[in-house]
Amino acid sequence: MSGLRKRLRPLLVPVLAVLSAFIVGSLFLMLSDLKHLAMIPTDPIGALTGAMGDVINAYRALLLGAFGDPAKFALAFQQGTPKAWTTALRPITETLVAATPLMFTGLAIAVSFRTSVFNIGGDGQFVLGALGASIVALAFRGMPAPITLVAALAGGIVFGALWGFVPGFLKARTGAHEVITTIMLNYVALQIVQLALRTDFLRQSTNSQPISKVLDFVRVPLLIPLPGLRLHWGFIAALVVAALISWFLFKTTKGFELRSAGQNLTAARYAGMSAGGSIILAMVVSGALAGLGGAFQVMGSVTQMSNDVNSGYGWTAIALALLGGTRPGGVVAAALLFGALNNGGHGMQVATSIPLDLLVFIQALVIMFVAAPDLVRKIYRLRPPKPEVVPAATEGASA
Amino acid sequence: MTAATAPVTTGVPRISAAQQRAERMARIRGIIFAVIGLAGFSFASGSMGSDVTFRFWIQEQGGAAWEIHTAAGLLWILAGVTTGVGGIYQLWKGASVSWRRWMALALPFWIAAIIGTLLAGKPAVMTNLFGGSLEYAFPIAMGAFAAMICERSGMLNIAIEGKFLLGACVASIAASVTGLVFVGPIAAILVGVGVGWLMAWMAIRHRVDQIIAGTVVNFGALGLTNFVYLRILQLNTDINTPPTVEAIKVPILSQIPVLGPVFFSGTPYLYIALITMVVLTYMLFKTRWGLRLRASGEYPNAAGTVGVDVIKIRYRAMMLAGAIAGFAGSYLSLHSAGSFQMNMSAGKGFIAMAAMIFGGWNPIGAFGAALVFGFSDATQTLLSSLGVDVPPQILTSVPYLVTIVVVAGLVGRVRGPAMAGIPYEQG
Repeated sequence: MSGLRKRLRPLLVPVLAVLSAFIVGSLFLMLSDLKHLAMIPTDPIGALTGAMGDVINAYRALLLGAFGDPAKFALAFQQGTPKAWTTALRPITETLVAATPLMFTGLAIAVSFRTSVFNIGGDGQFVLGALGASIVALAFRGMPAPITLVAALAGGIVFGALWGFVPGFLKARTGAHEVITTIMLNYVALQIVQLALRTDFLRQSTNSQPISKVLDFVRVPLLIPLPGLRLHWGFIAALVVAALISWFLFKTTKGFELRSAGQNLTAARYAGMSAGGSIILAMVVSGALAGLGGAFQVMGSVTQMSNDVNSGYGWTAIALALLGGTRPGGVVAAALLFGALNNGGHGMQVATSIPLDLLVFIQALVIMFVAAPDLVRKIYRLRPPKPEVVPAATEGASA
Repeated sequence: MTAATAPVTTGVPRISAAQQRAERMARIRGIIFAVIGLAGFSFASGSMGSDVTFRFWIQEQGGAAWEIHTAAGLLWILAGVTTGVGGIYQLWKGASVSWRRWMALALPFWIAAIIGTLLAGKPAVMTNLFGGSLEYAFPIAMGAFAAMICERSGMLNIAIEGKFLLGACVASIAASVTGLVFVGPIAAILVGVGVGWLMAWMAIRHRVDQIIAGTVVNFGALGLTNFVYLRILQLNTDINTPPTVEAIKVPILSQIPVLGPVFFSGTPYLYIALITMVVLTYMLFKTRWGLRLRASGEYPNAAGTVGVDVIKIRYRAMMLAGAIAGFAGSYLSLHSAGSFQMNMSAGKGFIAMAAMIFGGWNPIGAFGAALVFGFSDATQTLLSSLGVDVPPQILTSVPYLVTIVVVAGLVGRVRGPAMAGIPYEQG
């Protein structure tokens, strides 16, 4: 019993952080509920219960949208038709689809945080990865599909890694603050994508919007052979990559050097490790991961390159890295949670017409509570933890 | 000085590594400038025949105008000569040459030459171009002031973007509901102060990393304002139709030919930005408050030792910065667009940080940088309005690329406050 308790204890703060974020979110939901706010002077109790009912409905729709409706599962078991199964499985598979890019960018940011490099450029690395994959895919068009797919994925990795290398190199060689350079490179990457989407090579000529040709000829194979389900092998790849990163960080010499540089740069230097090399390596790995995520996104979940292939995955990744304690397993769990939130948000928006953007706000609150564990402990009157090693991400990251 | 401290036995003055590096950089810079100058010169021959007209309105838009006629080739020659001579001079004199002055001299010719060539004979209305630059520059300059106050006090504030959005949203609602324009900016200031306090509280009291705190605010502000827009404002447009801030012609000064329409016919926001620049420069470098603020950012331990309350200074700096950024946000909804729109700050908060860095953490420099960035925006508007087909992405990228180059110290390194972003432990 006490062993289980010990094991669950690190989960306490993240769980309470998510809970608190939802409570604050529901407060904002009620405060923006003009219909019930107008009722307060005449019928205060009715207003309160009505507003709370709406909140419960919204969160219920969120859960159904994220994980699927049990009734539909029962129906699918009864009927056993592919169509019924598609309807039942669609929400949960869409959650995994939404989690896939988040897993890649979250891992990317976790690697950089472990090395005390603050990679805020996940967005730029992600979109350039997607762009690189699209360019390579179109250039290899006509080759056998597996070759094209592998080449395109490699293209995504290279483009992302390059966009990570630039700030890493500048930080190592000139001391340029990576937060500033990566923010700026995010915007430059967006402009590059827009510029590239003007070219005849990429652009779909029949569309008035800047959107690329359809990349369905290199589509990442699907996991479940049912029509209408988008879940693809990119999800499995993300899990494998997470395991690889875990092995790399905790079992290899290079990984040890990265973590040492993250915990104490001076000590690492005195131990004869190359600090600059660690920073560059961390940024390259980080960029490559984000770029691979972009490649899977453009060839798996969607099949066309466009300006909005990325919806803030790089920024969300910061939350994921923190929430997951910069451990690959934790990041994967956090990405699944945020995937569920994003996808469930769509369900909520459809069912209750509450804007999906509420979830963005809730995610910001999650970051805040996770980043301030003593605040959470104070709110819930928890005992302070025993002193432990401070995770790299929260210590001296801006040095 | 180095000669005096060098060991006597060697007999030759020793040069420090830093000086060597500076000399090497100066040489590289000189060569680059000379080559660029030559390139500019080479454009001249092809464009000697194409006319360029720069038009300034003397009093009124569309009224009497003062025009400069010239050939694009002449501008290219001037650009090439100024740059090339600067490069050669740099090669000759080494690191002691102030290359920034040469750049400042050559840059206008380059811009004029490029614009002139692109327009291909159509007149460039410079009054609109300069006036537009000032308009675009306002939020960027104010955001840069806000970020600068924070960094000078030792806090890294990347949440200018979020404060712009919140300020814009709140200002629009407040001004619409009350029907009074001035309520908008006041509400925006209050919200900005609140958010500034929240960030400081997270970062100082709860040891949240300052970049994380900034991310929370940016992310949260985007989600919240989008949510409010979609849930409330879109359905009730009457609380998102604020009275707008109109341009005010300053009596007498706006009558000055050529200059009047550019500088003294803008919105009150423009004048406030100029006043803020002057006051902030004085406050930062001439008052006790400024000295303590800068000490908190450069050497907080020393400041703390002599009895300066670093924590309090940082709290106040964050709140002041919030006020400025929120106020600048109100400009977006009360002037530019006339209502709140989703994500209407569109990265201006980050360009503001760029302007702060490009301006060397100095109010006047930041305003100048904001003007440069504003000018690139205004040029883009001018070119697209005249149907010149230049991908807007190239001009849009300029501020970002310039910032990367500047922070990397590739061209003239700037140095920020030493302790920006590093928490202070009160002993």
